[in-house]
Amino acid sequence: MPEASSERTAKREFETCVDDPRGDRTREWELFVRDAPGEPLRHAGSVSAPTAEIAREQATRLFGWTAEALWLCPADETRRFAADGVALSDRANPTDQSGVEGNGGAE
Amino acid sequence: MISISKLLCDLDAAGDGLRYDAADESRKAQIREQKQRRPVVVWNCTKQCNLYCQHCYAAAETEPAPGELTTTEGKRFLDDLADYGAPVVLFSGGEPLARNDLVELVGHASDAGLRPVLSTNGTLLTEERAAALREAGLQYVGVSVDGLPERNDAFRGEKGAFDRALAGIEASQSAGLKTGLRYTITEANADDLESVVDLLADRGVDRFCFYHLDYGGRGAEIQDADLTPEERRAAVRRVCDMTREYHDRGHEIETLLVGNYADAAYLVEYARRELGPEQAERVLAYLETNGGDPTGERVADVDYQGNVHLTQFWQGYALGNVRDRPFGSIWEDESNALLSALREREDHLRGRCADCQYQSVCRGASRLRALATGDDPFGPDPQCYLTPDERGVGGPDRSADPAD
Repeated sequence: MPEASSERTAKREFETCVDDPRGDRTREWELFVRDAPGEPLRHAGSVSAPTAEIAREQATRLFGWTAEALWLCPADETRRFAADGVALSDRANPTDQSGVEGNGGAE
Repeated sequence: MISISKLLCDLDAAGDGLRYDAADESRKAQIREQKQRRPVVVWNCTKQCNLYCQHCYAAAETEPAPGELTTTEGKRFLDDLADYGAPVVLFSGGEPLARNDLVELVGHASDAGLRPVLSTNGTLLTEERAAALREAGLQYVGVSVDGLPERNDAFRGEKGAFDRALAGIEASQSAGLKTGLRYTITEANADDLESVVDLLADRGVDRFCFYHLDYGGRGAEIQDADLTPEERRAAVRRVCDMTREYHDRGHEIETLLVGNYADAAYLVEYARRELGPEQAERVLAYLETNGGDPTGERVADVDYQGNVHLTQFWQGYALGNVRDRPFGSIWEDESNALLSALREREDHLRGRCADCQYQSVCRGASRLRALATGDDPFGPDPQCYLTPDERGVGGPDRSADPAD
């Protein structure tokens, strides 16, 4: 999240915001697919949907033509980690272990 | 992305008769012996925006959204893209200028060997920021304007947005940045098309990208404002005619069509009628070299949280997240049946797309629109406006006058 100083900057830049209602933040659902009986479930990405039922509809439209079974898990209830304890994002680039920082105050 | 000006006006002289996708922003010649091997990557680096546009595919909001990639994560991601060989990164949003670290990120992308380009509403682009972005290595700025002032401001949810976008365009030009227009055509603003081009061409803008509405984000909620097939055909013809008229007068504006590869087929037919069969064959050959709709192949999208999408418009489904795996690992993972099928879509297309003679230059156009309207990712695109004769299937003309 931006630092406090950049939040103040952002507020100055957004003084002219309109008053229309804003969209809600849709829940994300991790999707797992089994192509045929006896095969393993594979992670097949995620769908955005406000409810489990709508997530099911979305997943079926995307993969119903090929899948034998679909599993959906709320992404915010899913824990993703590597067995050795290294953050997955760090494993993506093992040469950079510097952690994260706010995105404000860069200019 | 299909360049009308190159295909209809400059083909004999230029030799780079086609530009396409966001790679077009790079100004590099896009004709090649083989298809582009790595995708142009759109990075929606923030969901925050100061406007609230009716057609926003990212459903941007005026407050920052949680989970945005930090500066360090963003730089790591850009290195990841460069290592993978992505040619271009298109900074988009939300409004990318809402990120205070945008100059730093653009500079990092440029240093890593990527060609950074920007898609913005223009209203936050000051001369100082434009100069800093150019200094950082930015190659191109595309500013969204969707009609004459009254219509644009209604569409964008803010009075004065048009004038502020024009000020942003001028700031970008003053900084020496190549600057173009992005215009999403709907029923509400189709009539403004020529007037907006005339107005901006007088101000030195010479590049105009016309987008068809895709049905993602808030764009899915305004499908009833989309053009009918007949209206779409007429609008595309007007852009073609206008481009040729400008070139005939010696003003060589660049015009491009984005988001509906039925346009590729239409351009071949247009060239056949207006310029003759030889030119039509040349247009067809150039279009076949580049191969139609790029979803899941030549264009990719990464959102503000690092989710990887098949195209920038298809935000409702993600292949994976760059916080978990490098971008290239996600993009190359064809154990995902949908991704794999999109890359072999000729084997999966159904309905009118299955036997169309222009499948090689269209590839079924938008799979997202097919999904949004027909619940089938391989069904027909509802925006197709080609006649049965044009599609090569004969029969009565049910959609438009082929002589149109």
